[in-house]
Amino acid sequence: MANYYNIDDILAEEEFVPVVFHKAANGVVIDPSSETNSVEQGAKVELPLWLAQELYLRQAISISVPACFSQRTRLEIQADAACVDLKSRSPYFYEFGCKIAPLVGDKTIEILLLSAFKIRYKEILTKAYTAVFTTTSKFLTLLTKEETNLYEAAQASMAAFKKWRMGGPRLQRASVLGRKRKPLD
Amino acid sequence: MHGRKAYELVKEFASGEKGHLKIFNNELFERVIEECNEHHNALQSLIRKMQEEGLEVQTAKNADHYGALVHHLSLTRNKRCLMAYVYNRAEIIRDLAWKVGLLHELPSEIQEKFGDSEEQYFKDHSKSLKLYMSQLSLDVNVDMVPPKDPYIKVRVLEDLGSGIILSDKSANFARHSMHFLKRTDAEQYISRGLMEELTG
Repeated sequence: MANYYNIDDILAEEEFVPVVFHKAANGVVIDPSSETNSVEQGAKVELPLWLAQELYLRQAISISVPACFSQRTRLEIQADAACVDLKSRSPYFYEFGCKIAPLVGDKTIEILLLSAFKIRYKEILTKAYTAVFTTTSKFLTLLTKEETNLYEAAQASMAAFKKWRMGGPRLQRASVLGRKRKPLD
Repeated sequence: MHGRKAYELVKEFASGEKGHLKIFNNELFERVIEECNEHHNALQSLIRKMQEEGLEVQTAKNADHYGALVHHLSLTRNKRCLMAYVYNRAEIIRDLAWKVGLLHELPSEIQEKFGDSEEQYFKDHSKSLKLYMSQLSLDVNVDMVPPKDPYIKVRVLEDLGSGIILSDKSANFARHSMHFLKRTDAEQYISRGLMEELTG
């Protein structure tokens, strides 16, 4: 597993997917509607992806398309991808989509992700280079984790370019100590 | 829910600013380990039950098998979260040693956030770095880009007193005083925020 220690990968796998159990399972508390400590055959529950993935590979469950890739989302993305609030759907929209697509056998998810990312990518970079912070703060709340990283990278490169052009001190306080200086006592 | 606590632990790590350390969450960490033990016990009792029924544990695919499987997966998931938490923190701690300073040079408000084993890790890492540098008789922690001028102008931001002896001179480093120092000497004070470089 290449991403074993990757924090984002771990968080992306915590997204919930609707599943149907084909096999019963004893001694586990994952079905909230069940009164006993077990899952019946045919029970419909929501499981985090990391669990659903492995159970699916052992043919214990079948997975259906999660709510964040619903028809409504698709229509919104088709209308104007740049304005869709993907973060509220899933902060790991793309990673989650890539992981879930082969499991549900839905080829359209991949096309959806690609087209959404293409349009939003352009928008993010334009905003990162030109807009002032006050106008972008609202826009930033719509971005997924991946897109936020992209936005920050673009801004950092812009800042580095400005610094290179204007000149300035090469040595600086380590960023881990925080940006603000301690108040003078 | 399975793996929820472990998720909270990782989430907490991710919620901070990049490269910043939070206080080691001992309580939650212990809870996740406890949960691992619970999963382990449940897994064992299910397998025992299968054995008592005279089933082949490797091949029988009944409800107990899938129950045990879920516990097993939850266990490995919890393990992964715990490992990632410790691993990523260790990475930050190593970074601190390189970027800010070794041993006592690190500000105490950062050191307070270390867990017990992390404190030891930081000390050991600092020590081996120091040993390595003294064997090479070279400070490998300075800026990689060769300076145009070996001397730079700095302003002192916090009262450092006159106790510091640099390689070629000693002076009274009172707050707001300005000095002309060797860059390699000044670097560590700048990165700790005690001096700033002046350009002009």
